Amino acid sequence: MARAEPRPLDRGSRAWALAAVAACLLPLLPQLPASLGLGCVGVGALVALASRHRPLPGWLRAVLALALVGTVLSMSRFSLGRDTACALLAAMLALKPAELVTLRDARSLVGFALFAPFSTFLLDQGPLSLVLGLVGAVVALAALAQLSEYESQGSQPLPARARLAGVGRLLLVGLPLALAAFWLFPRLGSPLWGVPERALARPGLSDEMSPGEWLDLMNDDRPALRVSFYGDPPPQSQMYWRGPVLMDYDGRSWTRSRSLGMLPAPASTRTTTRWDYEMVVEPSDRSSLVALELPDAVPAGAQLGWDYSLHSRTPLTSVTRWRLQASPPLSLEPQLPSFVRERALRLPAGFNPRTVALGQAWRRELGPAGDAAIVDRAMAMIRAEFGYTLSTPLPGRHSADEFLFDWKQGFCEHFSSAFVILMRAAGIPSRVVTGYAGGYRNPFGGYWIVRNQDAHAWAEVWLDGRGWVRADPTAAVAPERIYDTIDDRAAAGGFGALPGVAPILDVGDWLRRGWNDLVLGFDASRQMALLRPLGLGGTGMRGLIALFAACAVLALAWMLWLTARAGRERDTVLAAWRRQGARYARLGLGRARHEPALQWAQRVASARPADAAALLALSARFEDWRYARPRDGADARALARDLRRHRPARNARPESMP
Amino acid sequence: MPGRLRRLLDARFDAWAHRRTPGSLPVRFDRHRIYVLPTRFGLFFAVLLLTMGLGALNYNNNPALLLCLLLAGAGIASLLQAQLQLSGLEVLSIGAEPVPAGAPLRLRVHARAAPGRERRGLRVACAGRAATLSLDDGAGEADLALPTTIRGWLQPGRLQISTTRPLGLARAWAYVWPDAPLLVYPAPEPSGPPLPEGQGEHAQSRVAPSGDDVHHLREWHRGDSLRAVAWKASARRDALLVREFEQAVGSDIVLDWQALRTLGYEHRIRRLARWVDEAERGSRRYRLCLPGQAVLGPSHGAAHRHACLRALALLPQEERPHGTR
Repeated sequence: MARAEPRPLDRGSRAWALAAVAACLLPLLPQLPASLGLGCVGVGALVALASRHRPLPGWLRAVLALALVGTVLSMSRFSLGRDTACALLAAMLALKPAELVTLRDARSLVGFALFAPFSTFLLDQGPLSLVLGLVGAVVALAALAQLSEYESQGSQPLPARARLAGVGRLLLVGLPLALAAFWLFPRLGSPLWGVPERALARPGLSDEMSPGEWLDLMNDDRPALRVSFYGDPPPQSQMYWRGPVLMDYDGRSWTRSRSLGMLPAPASTRTTTRWDYEMVVEPSDRSSLVALELPDAVPAGAQLGWDYSLHSRTPLTSVTRWRLQASPPLSLEPQLPSFVRERALRLPAGFNPRTVALGQAWRRELGPAGDAAIVDRAMAMIRAEFGYTLSTPLPGRHSADEFLFDWKQGFCEHFSSAFVILMRAAGIPSRVVTGYAGGYRNPFGGYWIVRNQDAHAWAEVWLDGRGWVRADPTAAVAPERIYDTIDDRAAAGGFGALPGVAPILDVGDWLRRGWNDLVLGFDASRQMALLRPLGLGGTGMRGLIALFAACAVLALAWMLWLTARAGRERDTVLAAWRRQGARYARLGLGRARHEPALQWAQRVASARPADAAALLALSARFEDWRYARPRDGADARALARDLRRHRPARNARPESMP
Repeated sequence: MPGRLRRLLDARFDAWAHRRTPGSLPVRFDRHRIYVLPTRFGLFFAVLLLTMGLGALNYNNNPALLLCLLLAGAGIASLLQAQLQLSGLEVLSIGAEPVPAGAPLRLRVHARAAPGRERRGLRVACAGRAATLSLDDGAGEADLALPTTIRGWLQPGRLQISTTRPLGLARAWAYVWPDAPLLVYPAPEPSGPPLPEGQGEHAQSRVAPSGDDVHHLREWHRGDSLRAVAWKASARRDALLVREFEQAVGSDIVLDWQALRTLGYEHRIRRLARWVDEAERGSRRYRLCLPGQAVLGPSHGAAHRHACLRALALLPQEERPHGTR
């Protein structure tokens, strides 16, 4: 085959290739920082315009590329994360049209553009991203179709709608195979290589709490988890989803102690209450998990920390599913090791003098055995004098002092932090616990939604004989802000407050959960669960592969059938007539190609008298239909039906055979 | 060396493919005749999807995996559709009007298929030349200009009919072999002495496209000069008519191989070829005498011209000179 000289693209193909790049970039742009996204759009549009007639000169392309890479890197503060890589991809894709000259350029451009929706999904799996990603893929395939048409020349271009319809048909034909592979292709239980982290984090629970950082989280009403209980759920006011425990305070931020990280989980005794539930966690790019109170057993893929909090072994970059049993503690770590105790009492010097003084004063007043009394007094003080607000100024150096003595208003971050500092000053081992509180029960599907805005921080104080005990100063002030109810949400205003909208939102979330269940949260363990009802549960991987092979063969057969169907006889009468001929051919009485219908029927009739009458009549009708009369719908249908029904008589052997 | 190896392999493959799918025209393409392989871009696309799929599996990122699988599904479907473009296509005839060596031979490939499926932009390639075949309402024709260099039989070899539609990921192709070799006339010499007149036995009047007296009108044939068309008579008859004149001429023309013994072997053939054309243009009766063959003619007309030029074209090549000097 002689390879064709690189041919310059015509305008239509160029437009399609550019459209494919734009459509593929579209889902990725909202995931980038706004300025970068807009920059990519601007650069892409300029480059596409400037290179309309001839490609940009090489030096200009190099300068632009360097400038873009530099911008992206500096915006991500030179840390190479997943989002940085995606931003680089977007920038390069925006620049690539500068060298769009030949067919080959266009094809590689469209190919690389397909990475854009792919990388979008690494960053975000929301419905908008999914829809936009799919649209991008469809437009890219349509662009490929256009390029292939251009390559073979010869005909006028198809209208865009016809081309998109053609691509849709291709996707539809390939869909069964794709779905079979999706559900049945063996999944990796654990990743082969680690997922690169994001350089810029999304709001979510983490191992750190700094002033002001939580405001993003408290204003984010996206779901963080969806929980279905097997059995009774706890009352809403007892739904404390316990997450990372923050032990170390440096005067500004609370952090989870790294040095304690190696310790095993401490001893605990539990009440008889047990909750059994499944939790679907939205991707957060972090590894902290939450559990209702204390988990009983550690699920696979997670580990239990020294603080009884769960951490996933891999970052939660996609929807994950956790089956947990949990129960409230009777006592947690009743024997406090001295070095833990020392950590739980440590305060940085030179911070919050007024708070420290108050704590020490209370201790002096209530004596060495007055731990419980001090806690009660602090709670009473907060209940009496404090208020809840999300609009707080950024604190200065002595944040607890400012909160406790000046503002007297704040949200969980302030309450818990100041409370723990006060307790430590009074000599009571204490720590900050983060997690979620409350939840909303969706009447559709009867599951609970915990949103990012349900994020909460409270305190745990260690009391002699009881171990760590929860103390939630925020709940003392504003229980309604913590234990979320639908009325609160409605009162808070916004879209959900409109009458009749709440049920729609509920249904929407229920659909989203189904999508999570079947698609987003699908993984190796879920795959195995799929086998169980088929009776293949015990066969493991081998059963899965066999099932996949079977389904793939079926799907391929479906595709082949569609292929064959496209070439079949469209006329029902002719099709029935040929099938009829095939039946006799199996008896050795096939119709030769040159043989007229009636002549053939007579030949068969003489060999098989049993069939003679019916076949002769049918053949006469067929000839009549084919050559004599104008075709009539009802007539043809009846003939086709009779042809299909007719069978050679079973017992009548041809006379020539003994 | 690689070139030779390649040619050898190609010849081997050709022989194998020919053995696999024998049969003479018309040929109907079915799945035994159609080959499908990914194109270079198809391979690139596959690698791209593999990368995506591996990444998606590793991160257990389901939307990414689904996207990758959808694209793969569409790709495989496009393989089938590429095959479908050819399946059921029937090549009815492959032929060409003979041309003098050096002029491009217009190879016409006539194809048919059941209507109902779009078959456009099929590439017909032969000996490095390509043309496009599009079927309209179930029938279509491709014109392929093959270069010719020497007189005689031209074996064009296999014809490849291929398509990369719909996505350019895979090429489906099928081979078809022309039934008969194609004839290439000898190239006439560009200029030379006029026709050898006056060697015939008897004078006669002949019909010529130009002259003094109109002899009769006849139907227009391809090659007739427009000047000879009798427009008024044509308008009356609703068909193109051409005037023919009567002109007295000396005699038949004898084009004798032996008379040209001063020329080289191929040169003689080329001169005779030119004379045949000139005699035909002048509507003269002529006869061609070639060594070791029966005398052709005297006669004139397209059939006679073809017979003469064919005889000239098929004279053995120069290595074994025939005749005397």
